[in-house]
Amino acid sequence: METILLLVAAEEDGGLGKPALEAATAARELAARLEGAKLLAGIFGAQAGRAGAALAGAGFGEALLVEHESLARARFATDAAACQALVAASGASLVLAPATSRLQRVLAAVSARCRGAVDTHATALGAESGAVHATRWFYRQRMVGRVSRERRPWFLSLEPGVFAPHAASGDLVSRPVPAPLPESRTRVEGLRSPSSGAQTIRPDAPLLFVAGAGWCKKQADGLAHVSEAERLILGFLGKSGASLGGSKSVVDQKGEGGALSFLTHLNQVGQTGSTPRHAKGLATCCHGEEPHTVGWRFVSGRRAVNLDANCGWAQGKADVLYVADAFKVMARVNELLAG
Amino acid sequence: MTPSQPEFQRPSMRADVVCVGFGPATAGFLMTLTQGLAGADGAPALESRVMPGAPPQVLCYERADDLGYGVSGVVTRGRGLKESFPGLDFGSLPLYSEVAEEQVLYLLDPLGASRRPALVRAADRLLKSLPFLARDHAFRLPYVPSFLHKKGGFTFSLGQFNQWVGGLLMSTGLAQVWPASPVAGALIENGRVEGVRLADQGVDARGNLEPGYLPGMDVRAALTVVGDGPVGQVGRQLDRHFGLPKGAQRHEWAVGMKAVVELSPDCPLKPGTVIHTLGYPEPEIFGFLYVYPNRLASAGIFVPSWFDNPGRTAYRYLQHWMQHPALWRHLRGSEMKSWGAKSLLESGIRGEPFLVGDGWARVGENSGSTNVLTGSGVDEAWTTGVQLGRAVVELWRRGLPFDRENLEKAYVRRRRSSWVEREGRAGRKARDGFQKGFVQGMLGMALTGFSKGLLGWPGRPLQPHQRVPTLEKYAAGRLDAAQAAELRRQSQAGGRGVHDGLMDAAGWPRPTLDGRLLVSHQDALLKGGKVRASGRYADHVVILKPELCADCGEKVCVDMCSGQALTPGADGVPVFDREKCVHCGACLWNCAKVAEPATGQTNLDFRAGAGGLHSAEN
Amino acid sequence: MPVFHVVVCGGLVPDPLQTLEPVQGPAGWGLKNESMLPAILDPWAASALFEADSLARANPGSRVWLVSAAPKAKLQQVLMALAQKAAFELVAVDAQAGGFSDAAECASALAAAVNSIAGLDRSRLLLFGGWESASRGAGATLAILGEMLGISEQFQGVDQASPKPDGSLEILERVEGGRHQVSLLSAPPALLGWATGSLPEPPNNPQVGMLNMRSAMPALQKAAPSRLTGGGLALSSVELPSQRRDTRVVKDMPEDQVAREIVEWIAEK
Ligand SMILES: Cc1cc2nc3c(=O)[nH]c(=O)nc-3n(C[C@H](O)[C@H](O)[C@H](O)COP(=O)(O)OP(=O)(O)OC[C@H]3O[C@@H](n4cnc5c(N)ncnc54)[C@H](O)[C@@H]3O)c2cc1C
Ligand SMILES: Cc1cc2nc3c(=O)[nH]c(=O)nc-3n(C[C@H](O)[C@H](O)[C@H](O)COP(=O)(O)OP(=O)(O)OC[C@H]3O[C@@H](n4cnc5c(N)ncnc54)[C@H](O)[C@@H]3O)c2cc1C
Ligand code: SF4
Ligand code: SF4
Repeated sequence: METILLLVAAEEDGGLGKPALEAATAARELAARLEGAKLLAGIFGAQAGRAGAALAGAGFGEALLVEHESLARARFATDAAACQALVAASGASLVLAPATSRLQRVLAAVSARCRGAVDTHATALGAESGAVHATRWFYRQRMVGRVSRERRPWFLSLEPGVFAPHAASGDLVSRPVPAPLPESRTRVEGLRSPSSGAQTIRPDAPLLFVAGAGWCKKQADGLAHVSEAERLILGFLGKSGASLGGSKSVVDQKGEGGALSFLTHLNQVGQTGSTPRHAKGLATCCHGEEPHTVGWRFVSGRRAVNLDANCGWAQGKADVLYVADAFKVMARVNELLAG
Repeated sequence: MTPSQPEFQRPSMRADVVCVGFGPATAGFLMTLTQGLAGADGAPALESRVMPGAPPQVLCYERADDLGYGVSGVVTRGRGLKESFPGLDFGSLPLYSEVAEEQVLYLLDPLGASRRPALVRAADRLLKSLPFLARDHAFRLPYVPSFLHKKGGFTFSLGQFNQWVGGLLMSTGLAQVWPASPVAGALIENGRVEGVRLADQGVDARGNLEPGYLPGMDVRAALTVVGDGPVGQVGRQLDRHFGLPKGAQRHEWAVGMKAVVELSPDCPLKPGTVIHTLGYPEPEIFGFLYVYPNRLASAGIFVPSWFDNPGRTAYRYLQHWMQHPALWRHLRGSEMKSWGAKSLLESGIRGEPFLVGDGWARVGENSGSTNVLTGSGVDEAWTTGVQLGRAVVELWRRGLPFDRENLEKAYVRRRRSSWVEREGRAGRKARDGFQKGFVQGMLGMALTGFSKGLLGWPGRPLQPHQRVPTLEKYAAGRLDAAQAAELRRQSQAGGRGVHDGLMDAAGWPRPTLDGRLLVSHQDALLKGGKVRASGRYADHVVILKPELCADCGEKVCVDMCSGQALTPGADGVPVFDREKCVHCGACLWNCAKVAEPATGQTNLDFRAGAGGLHSAEN
Repeated sequence: MPVFHVVVCGGLVPDPLQTLEPVQGPAGWGLKNESMLPAILDPWAASALFEADSLARANPGSRVWLVSAAPKAKLQQVLMALAQKAAFELVAVDAQAGGFSDAAECASALAAAVNSIAGLDRSRLLLFGGWESASRGAGATLAILGEMLGISEQFQGVDQASPKPDGSLEILERVEGGRHQVSLLSAPPALLGWATGSLPEPPNNPQVGMLNMRSAMPALQKAAPSRLTGGGLALSSVELPSQRRDTRVVKDMPEDQVAREIVEWIAEK
C-alpha cells in the first residue's frame, strides 16, 4: 500500500504556484487509482502554514509543514533539510513534487538521503494492479519510456503544464514537523532579470514565438536587415504577449550580419536549450532541424513561416508551413494586430 | 606560404614526424610506424630525434571534426589491409561483408532524357529490341571483367575503420592523431619542408583578426608526411612549389556522391552484393551499390570532370539514378541514413607528383596511388602508407636523415616494386578515351583492362576548365538564346544553379520527394551527412579573382556544389556559405576559369578548413 | 587569489545531430547502433568543463579533473576532439552509461572515481557537471553524487560563477521566468550543475592537447571497469513518439493572407 506525499514549496506570499497545484491534481488522481493509498501534503517555506489552504479538497489527509524564515527563498541546504524532514515524518513510499527549479534542485539529493530512488520530469503517472509507473522522456525529448521501481521511497518530479491545476475547496488540517535546518555557506541575494527585460520564455504565455537565424541572414537583396528584424519581433511580442524563443543558431550569432540584441541562451529552445510548454508556437526564419524541434515536443499547435518549402517544418514537424518571407508576413501581422 | 596575419607570438613546437590528414594512407603509415617504433613490451624502442632521450614525437592533424570522416564505399580486395592485420578477424569491422556477388549493369534510359551519343542510342535500341537481354531497362554484363572484380574482397565502413585505427594508434601512446585541426600549409625553407603550420583560429570569414585570435601553431618536424587526399591543400602547395615531374598531369577528376541507405525489409539483396552501373542518368555517370549487413547499403554515383555540362549537379543525378527501374527495384522503400560527397583524383598514376623531397614524403591518393581502372583507392592508399612506414622505421633505426635520397631509396623503391605501382601502371591509359567521349572511353577502358595496360584509346586529358562549355553552348538545340538568358536570370534571382532548368528542358521529371530516400538536397545535408561549420576559422573556399567570376559564363561551381554552399551572388560572384559545405573539394577542379595560368590554379581555391560532414555510417 | 580544485563530471552522449532509435537488447534498453554513433561530451557538462578551465586559468595553482564514465573506446574518441580545448587531468571509468541507466548507480561509480583522486583538496573542491544530461535529462546524477561526497552547498542550472578575491563566489542559477537567482557562496566545497554558462567554445590549442594526452592516455588505459546493472530502474517500454504531423505546406499565398491566417489562429482559443 502506498503512502503518497506531495512535496511543495510555498511561495513568498504564502500561496502555491501553478506547478504545485498541478502536482496536487496528479497526486490525487494517482491516489484514486491505488487502493487504500494514503495521501499527504508536505509544504515548506516561510509561509508554509498559509499555503495549505490551496490544497484543500484534493483528498489530502493532512498537510505537514516546515515553516521557517530561512525557507523564504530557495537554497539547497535548507530546502533539502526541510524536505528530508517532511518525507521522514510522512513515512511516504511515493514522493511527488513539481519539477520547478526549486524542487528539482533538491529532490535527487533528498532521495539519496532517504535511501530512496528518483526519477524526474514525469509527464504522466499510472498504476496497474497496484504497481505505479511514470512516463518520462529520454534523450532530450526524442523518445518516451515508461519507468517503474520497486524501491521506496520513490521520488518523482512532475513536469509543469501537464496536469490541470487543483482548485481548492474547503479546509485542510495541517501539522508542523520539526526540522533541524543547517547553517549554510550560501547567502541568496535575490533574483536578477536578464538585461533584455521581459523578452524571455514565459511559460504562462499561450503563444511561443521562435525566431531563427534567418532573421539575421542576408535576404534576397544581398543584405542583412537585423534592426528591421528586431523592430518586427519586438513589435509582435508587444502586441501579442507571446513568449520569445530562439534557435541555437540565432542565439549563438555574432559578427557579420549582427545579432538580435535581446536574445540570450535563456531563449534557446531545443536539445541544448529548453522544452517549453505552450498551447501554440510560431516559428519564423527557423529551419526546423531535429535538435531544435525536439524542444517543441510539448507545444501542441505549430505553425512556421519559412522561405524554404523543404525545411524541417514541412517534414511533419508543423501543422502548417507558410512558404513566405517572414519579414513581410510579420510586418503585416503587426499591422493587423495594431489595427 | 604567405602568412595572412602579422606574426604575433605564433606558437611553435618540435616533432619527429608530422602528418597532414588522416585517411587510409596516413593511417597505414602510422600503424606501420608505431609498430616499428615499439619494442617487444610496447614501450618505445627508438628515441626521438628532435628531443634525444624522449620517446618519438609523432603527430597527425586531420581537418575534419572527427576521425570517422570517410565518404568512400568501400569495396576493396583489401590485400594491403589484410597484410597489416594478420591476426585480425575482419568480420568484426563495422559493416564488414565478404563480396558475395558482383554485377555490372548497363542502364538504358527509360525516360529518353539523357544525352546519348548516336552510337549509344543505336546500341540502346538494339538492347531494347531484345527484351530477354534487358530487364528493368538494364543489361547485365554476362561476366565481370577481371580487372574490375573484387573477388575475395569485402565491404566495410571507411569512417568506422578510420575511427578504429585512430583508437589503436592513440592507445599505443606512440602517435597522436588530432581531429578538427586543419593544416594551413607546409613550412618550406631553403627547398626543405620543415614542418607544417596549423590554421589560424579566431579570425572572421575573410581571415581578419577577431577577439580571441589564436595564431596557428608551427609544428616543425624532421619528416612531414602529406596524405591529404585528392584535393589536399598541402599536396597542391608542394606541387606548386616543386612542380610536377615531366609528363605528369592532374586533369581528371570526379565527384563521388553517395548515401548509406537502410533497405526495406523485403529487399532481397544479400550482404556482399556489389553492383556497378554505367550508362545512366547520363552516359558519363557511373554508379555503385554495395550491400552491407543489417540491410544497410551504400549507393552512389561519380560525376566526372569530362562530363561537359556546366550544370553537372551530382545531387539531382543521384536521385534519378536511384530511381532507375533496375535500382529502384532494390531501393524502393529504403531510407537515407547518411549522405556525403568527396572528390576522386582520376588521373591516378598519371598524376603522380614527386613522392619525396628533403624532409617530406607523400602517400595516398594525393600521391597518385588510386587505381582508376579497378576503381580502387583505399587499399592502395593504405599500402603506400605502409611502404613509407617501413621506410621511416628503417631510416630511423639506421640513424639516417629523412632527406630526398634516403627516402627515395627506402620508400620510393619499395613503392616501385609493389602491386600498387604495377597495377597503377596497367591502368594508366584506362580512361584516356573518355576525353573523346563515352563510347571511346568504354572501349578504351576495355582495351586497357584486357591488354593489361598495353593499349588504350588515345585522348589528351584537358583540364576541366579547358573543356566545359557555357550554358548557351551546352543547351544549344534545347534552349534558344532567349530561353537560356531567361534561365540565367532565374538562376541569379532565385539564388540557385541552372541545372534544374536544363534538366527540365531535357525532359527529366522533377523527383517527387518521399521524405525517406528522396529528400531535398538540404535535408540530405542533415540526414546523416550532418554538416557543421566552425566559426573560428577563415572560409576555406575562396574566390581568388572576383572579376573573373563576373565574366564567367559557365558558373559550374554553383551547379556542381555538393552541398549547395555556393550560390549565385551579386555581380556574378558566387557566395559561399560554409555551413553547407561538405569539403568535397569539387568546386576546386570544377571552376571554369584559371587564376594562375602558370600553375593551372583555378579561380576558386579550396583550402583546409574544419567542419563538414560528421557522419556515423559512411 | 583563491585556489580551486575543480572536478568536472561529464558523460558522453550521441551527437545531437544523429537519428536515435531505442532498441531492447539482452542488457536492457539502448540505442540502435549505439557503438557507431559519434559521441560528444554531454553539452552542458562541456560548458562546465570550459568554465572550469577558465576559472583555473584565472586562479593560478588551481587544478581541473575530468571524471567520465563511458565506454573506453568512445571516451578516447571524444577526448581527441576535446583535449585541445581545455586543460584537465582525466579520471576515466569504463562503463556503459547511457540514457537508460540509473542516476544513482552512475553517481556511485563517479563517487568511487572522485574518491580515488590523489591530491584532491576537499576544502577547495568545486564539483562541476551539467545540470542535466542530454541522455537521461534527469538532473539527478550530479546531485546524488554531491550527496554521496557530503557536499552541502548545491546549485543547479548555473550560468555564471564569479570568484571574488576572498575566495567567495557569486553564482547565478536559472529559475523560472527567464530569471537568475543570485547567491553568494562564501567558500568551497560546493556543487555546481551548469547550464550553458557564459563562455564560447574555446579554440583548439594543440599544445594543451599534447599535454592533456600525456596524462589522459595512461588514465584511459587504467580506467576501472564498472558494470552498471540498472539500479532497480525498470523500463517497460521505450518508443519514438509518433510525432509526424500532416503538414499543410502553403505556397504562393500572398503575405497579407498569410498574416490574416496567423492572426486568426493566434486569436483562436
Ligand atoms: C550539439 C548541438 C546541440 C544543438 N542544440 C540545439 C538546440 O538546443 N536548439 C537549436 O535550435 N538548435 C540546436 N542545434 C543546432 C541545430 O542543429 C541547427 O543548426 C539550428 O537549430 C539552426 O537554426 P536556424 O534554423 O535558426 O538556422 P538556419 O539553419 O540557418 O535556418 C535559417 C532559416 O531561415 C529561413 N529564412 C531566411 N530568411 C527568411 C525569410 N526572410 N523569411 C522566412 N524564412 C527565412 C531559411 O530558409 C532557413 O530555413 C544543436 C546543434 C548541435 C551540434
Ligand atoms: C564516393 C566514393 C566512393 C569510393 N569507393 C571506393 C571503393 O569502393 N573502394 C576503394 O578502394 N576506394 C574507393 N574510393 C576511393 C577512396 O575513397 C580514396 O582513394 C581513399 O580514401 C584515398 O585515401 P587517402 O588516405 O589518400 O585520402 P583521403 O581518404 O582523402 O584522406 C585525406 C584526409 O586528409 C584530410 N585533409 C586534407 N587536407 C587537410 C589539411 N590541410 N589539414 C588536415 N587534414 C587534411 C581530409 O579531411 C581527409 O580526411 C571512393 C571514393 C569516393 C569519393
Ligand atoms: S568560381 Fe569559377 S566557375 Fe564559379 S563563377 Fe567564378 S570563375 Fe566561374
Ligand atoms: S563549396 Fe564545399 S560542398 Fe560545395 S563543392 Fe566546394 S567543397 Fe564541395
